[in-house]
Amino acid sequence: MAIRVTLDRILLERRMSLTDLSDKVGVTLANLSILKTGKAKAIRFSTLNALCRVLECQPGELLSFEPSDDDALEETADQAAE
Amino acid sequence: MKALGKGSVASLVRIGLMIAWWALWACAAFVGLAAVAYSVVLAMVANGAIDAAELQNSDGFQIGAFHINFDQPGAATWPIAIPSLLTVAVMIAGALIIVWRLRRLFDSFSSGEPFRRENAAHLRVIWITMVAVELARYFLTASITGLVVAFGEAQGVGVREVSLSVDPSTWGSILILIVLAEVFREGARLKEEQELTI
Repeated sequence: MAIRVTLDRILLERRMSLTDLSDKVGVTLANLSILKTGKAKAIRFSTLNALCRVLECQPGELLSFEPSDDDALEETADQAAE
Repeated sequence: MKALGKGSVASLVRIGLMIAWWALWACAAFVGLAAVAYSVVLAMVANGAIDAAELQNSDGFQIGAFHINFDQPGAATWPIAIPSLLTVAVMIAGALIIVWRLRRLFDSFSSGEPFRRENAAHLRVIWITMVAVELARYFLTASITGLVVAFGEAQGVGVREVSLSVDPSTWGSILILIVLAEVFREGARLKEEQELTI
């Protein structure tokens, strides 16, 4: 996946723990951990909204795009499926 | 009554499948014993210990407490008997594989989680087994017919009519299972995606 979640960097900048964030946004620690480690497949707008509100940041600060070879392969597979 | 989960229709089917599983093993053991007994009789016929013609009399042949007789002409020769036994063995083996996979499927349905990746694999194995059993049945039926044509005349057996029975319901079920396997694979993928949506 070429989309990276930069939650750990923002948490470090805000000097906030994952547990504090979990309490404030109402998302379980397990789910935030999935998000932080890049295992998540998708993120709801409501979750993104809550994260941006608590961390006082823009969605673009939480996410970054890093193209990879895997990404190109996925795109080719999607085109073939269509 | 709910369809999935504990105390559901799925758990009742699960119990039925468990009974079918043990019944099939009993059948397999019976066929195994029958094959061994048949081999012994054929060996005795080959040795000359038993007269093949005597076996086909209505009185049959008496060995101690055992009374043996064949009501089918030509049954005392191995070329005709072996494919018949193989047909039954293949069908029982196929049924065991199918019932085992169905048990695993219904274990999952009874626990209330139908969309698992392994369920798609179980359905795939079931339709592949059904195709294999059906093709083996055609092959073995053709073998029996061929053997009867080749060796049957000496035993008084003839082929009156050669026909291949193709069961459309079996092939229809196979096609449905192929689609269902894909539905379950897609369902498992969507569930996994949903679980990883934060």
